[in-house]
Amino acid sequence: MSQSAEKVLDHFDLFRQPEYVEMFEDKKSNFEAPHPQEKVTGIVEWTKTWEYREKNFAREALTVNPAKACQPLGAVFAAVGFESTLPFVHGSQGCVAYYRSHFSRHFKEPSSCVSSSMTEDAAVFGGLNNMIDGLANAYNMYKPKMIAVSTTCMAEVIGDDLNAFIKTSKEKGSVPAEFDVPFAHTPAFVGSHITGYDNALKGILTHFWDGKAGTTEALVRQPNDKINFIGGFDGYTVGNLREVKRIFDLMGVSYTILGDNSEVWDTPADGEFRMYDGGTTLEEAANAVHAKATVSMQEYCTEKTLPMIAEHGHEVAAFNHPVGVEATDKFLMEVSRLTGKAIPEALAKERGRLVDAIADSSAHIHGKKFALYGDPDMCLGLAAFLLELGAEPTHILATNGNKEWGAKVQAMLDASPFGKNCHVYPGKDLWHMRSLLYTEPVDFLIGNTYGKYLQRDTGTPLIRIGFPIFDRHHHHRYPVWGYQGGLNVLVWILDKIFEEIDRNTIVPAKTDYSFDIIR
Amino acid sequence: MDALSKKVQEVFDEPACGKNQGKSEKERKKGCTKQLQPGAAAGGCAFDGAKIALQPITDVAHLVHGPIACEGNSWDNRGAKSSGSRLYRTGFTTDINELDVVYGGEKRLYKSVKEIIDKYDPPAIFVYQTCVTALIGDDIEAVCKAASQKFGKPVIPVNAPGFVGSKNLGNKLAGEALLDHVIGTQEPDYLTPYDINIIGEYNLAGELWQVKPLLDEMGVRILSCISGDAKYREVAYSHRAKAAMMVCSKAMINIARKMEERYEIPFFEGSFYGITDMSDSLRQIAKLLVDKGAPDELLARTERIIAREEARFWQRMEPFKDRLKGIKVLLITGGVKSWSVVAALQEVGMEIVGTSVKKSTLEDKQKIKELMGEDAHMIEDMTPREMYKMLKDAQADIMLSGGRSQFVALKAKMPWLDINQERHHAYAGYEGMVKLVEEIDNSLHNPVWEQVRKPAPWDNPFLEVMAAPGSLSPALEAAA
Repeated sequence: MSQSAEKVLDHFDLFRQPEYVEMFEDKKSNFEAPHPQEKVTGIVEWTKTWEYREKNFAREALTVNPAKACQPLGAVFAAVGFESTLPFVHGSQGCVAYYRSHFSRHFKEPSSCVSSSMTEDAAVFGGLNNMIDGLANAYNMYKPKMIAVSTTCMAEVIGDDLNAFIKTSKEKGSVPAEFDVPFAHTPAFVGSHITGYDNALKGILTHFWDGKAGTTEALVRQPNDKINFIGGFDGYTVGNLREVKRIFDLMGVSYTILGDNSEVWDTPADGEFRMYDGGTTLEEAANAVHAKATVSMQEYCTEKTLPMIAEHGHEVAAFNHPVGVEATDKFLMEVSRLTGKAIPEALAKERGRLVDAIADSSAHIHGKKFALYGDPDMCLGLAAFLLELGAEPTHILATNGNKEWGAKVQAMLDASPFGKNCHVYPGKDLWHMRSLLYTEPVDFLIGNTYGKYLQRDTGTPLIRIGFPIFDRHHHHRYPVWGYQGGLNVLVWILDKIFEEIDRNTIVPAKTDYSFDIIR
Repeated sequence: MDALSKKVQEVFDEPACGKNQGKSEKERKKGCTKQLQPGAAAGGCAFDGAKIALQPITDVAHLVHGPIACEGNSWDNRGAKSSGSRLYRTGFTTDINELDVVYGGEKRLYKSVKEIIDKYDPPAIFVYQTCVTALIGDDIEAVCKAASQKFGKPVIPVNAPGFVGSKNLGNKLAGEALLDHVIGTQEPDYLTPYDINIIGEYNLAGELWQVKPLLDEMGVRILSCISGDAKYREVAYSHRAKAAMMVCSKAMINIARKMEERYEIPFFEGSFYGITDMSDSLRQIAKLLVDKGAPDELLARTERIIAREEARFWQRMEPFKDRLKGIKVLLITGGVKSWSVVAALQEVGMEIVGTSVKKSTLEDKQKIKELMGEDAHMIEDMTPREMYKMLKDAQADIMLSGGRSQFVALKAKMPWLDINQERHHAYAGYEGMVKLVEEIDNSLHNPVWEQVRKPAPWDNPFLEVMAAPGSLSPALEAAA
């Protein structure tokens, strides 16, 4: 046997050993009653056809390989951006374990979050007791400065009323009466993680600005010169927020980042465990009401939050995950207009460098076809950048994008000669993408880690940009916003293009006549 | 006078060089290479010239005798493609150290040759002299001779240390090395009346392969290409060809001329760039072969191929004509013959506003004048600053040049296309011309140029005007 106690083989090698290969073969032919190989191959080939694509797109009920996550994930993302804040998800604990592992796998950091651990009896009698006990335990065990409550589907289905529950819990002494417990209802059967982000952020701001659920007076806005900045749900939050702060500091803008999770998801290895780190202070969150304006980097992540802020008298501006020269120009111009601060020479230089880098490499990206999927804002931002580079974003797909989003993308495509043969697919999933890649092949695919299955099936090389990225490390530490961020995205795209050229020419004595050192 | 100076002198006095013929005896003695101006940016050295001329010979080991700098910086830096061996891409150097400088590097060189033979057993080894080893007096010719005898294998000295002169001189010294030690040393298995040499073609980006199918169709055999995609043996028996085509006008003229003298192989200067030149070259090849005894019907066959290919080319050009008409091009080329590219671009309706003639011969310049008119803007030697200015003043829409000028073009916000040795697209032949035009079209219409030419939006007063109508300054209002 190839497997022995002296030399135990791991999974990479074990089943490649002849005994196993033979055993699987035997098992298959003798016991599995398999279809003939030609039939299997035939079906595989058939899934690559236009006929299959039409059937695939005619799907009405089933979603296969969705490119989206649930609301509470977004709620947790927003909550950890505030100082010493413990996200508390009212509902079943299994969901919460998912959020924690999801973030840990992406950010390579511990991710603290608790649930009210509702069980069957809670589902029957309501989750009030779980809330009362849960808040008390979390408060005493983890010493947070704030607990931000959101919900899983279970609590939503039985109709638990967070406002009332939290009030009762405070009356029962779970947490002190003045302790901040903002909340948001975040059912996963509505919207996606970006909706949850929106709801949770709105819940937190409403809590501080509008009288903490009727327990104090609402704040009276006394406008100052600051601006608020909201990043939205963003896998590059660590790098992006640091970059945005650097840009604002260079411009001399006074600002408040609402939901700054760049510290808690990038803590140093110095022997100390930081359950909480950095974040928008509660005072800053409250005082943010006085700002003269609020900027959101992701329109579809702040569909409810921004109007709420506007109602408080702010001027608001929303962007769609700006990437590249023109998008960053617009962002900086708007910040400059809102704050009256000039754009300094240092940023003008960075801009020139990005333009220079794009020009240096333009020939390699020009005319290349890309398929792209991700959150609606990111799709818009990256597609605009691709158009700027002279690439053709042939398929643009967002499972959590709606028809209005689709129309917005289409308008952008129509405005560019490079968008002529491109199509937008709101509400579709990655199995749809698979058909698209087979029937209308592209040169590269941009998406998150789950795109690797599409790469495996269709052979389309995957450029990993998005959330989550589980199988490549540390990209979240690099910004994709600002001119510096645009440079990073450019480099990632180029790296893949050159890797592909190398891959196609690397076979010794066969294709390596074009395996060149200069590209 | 030592052997090297004699060789250099001889190469300078090239009778087939038009420029040389016009000189007085004294001038001729001084040599055709302009003395480099200390402090001014310059091109490559003689070593580099020799190395790039011979490096495309694919199955030999190219051993650089010198400190790491020479091979370290030149290792595999050209896109000369091979259909067979990849040995030419392996970087071999003696990488001499301080002690070698003191005690001499000949022993190390000899051992290196031995180790190459033991490990790789190539059909030949080319040994390149460099500045340091030449200065300390290493006699590579003696070492090569001893090694050849000892190991029974050609070990070819390429005596072109960097300090003797320019890259172009190095090209010629490389040619001399082939003439002295390689050409005529072997015999081909069989001969045909259709055997030709192509001299000065390096198969960059596989260009030779774009031309070869047409030669195949004509029934012409490339007996030897010097040196693109060449095998040692092919170069060694190249003296049996019936005729030769000389591709790069200045690099290897000495090879073509001496082969004509020694082996009676007539040659013509031609180019694979551009439609007229390509067709002319095919015609000339056929004509020379027929003159040397090939059957007459080759001429008619060639004409049929030319007619078909030209028709196909113009048909493929249709979609570009509107897009490229009147586009102004600045052409800065090194090795590629300027005039051949000029003709090619004019054929698709583009306008050449200037071309470099740094390495062009008198004859080349005459051809450029014929093509571009008497007041052709010929640039003898352009500094990056001048180049920048010319581009910046928007006298051109696009620059075609080698990789080193790319960055000047970009800083001047000008579309740019690589047509030198580092390019990845083959532009030779009818097929290559389509590719070149496609690439120019792509480059011109890349959206980045719009971005490059636009100032940052905050630098643009008109943007503010647009953003806030009614806020025109009095001056602007008057202008409006």
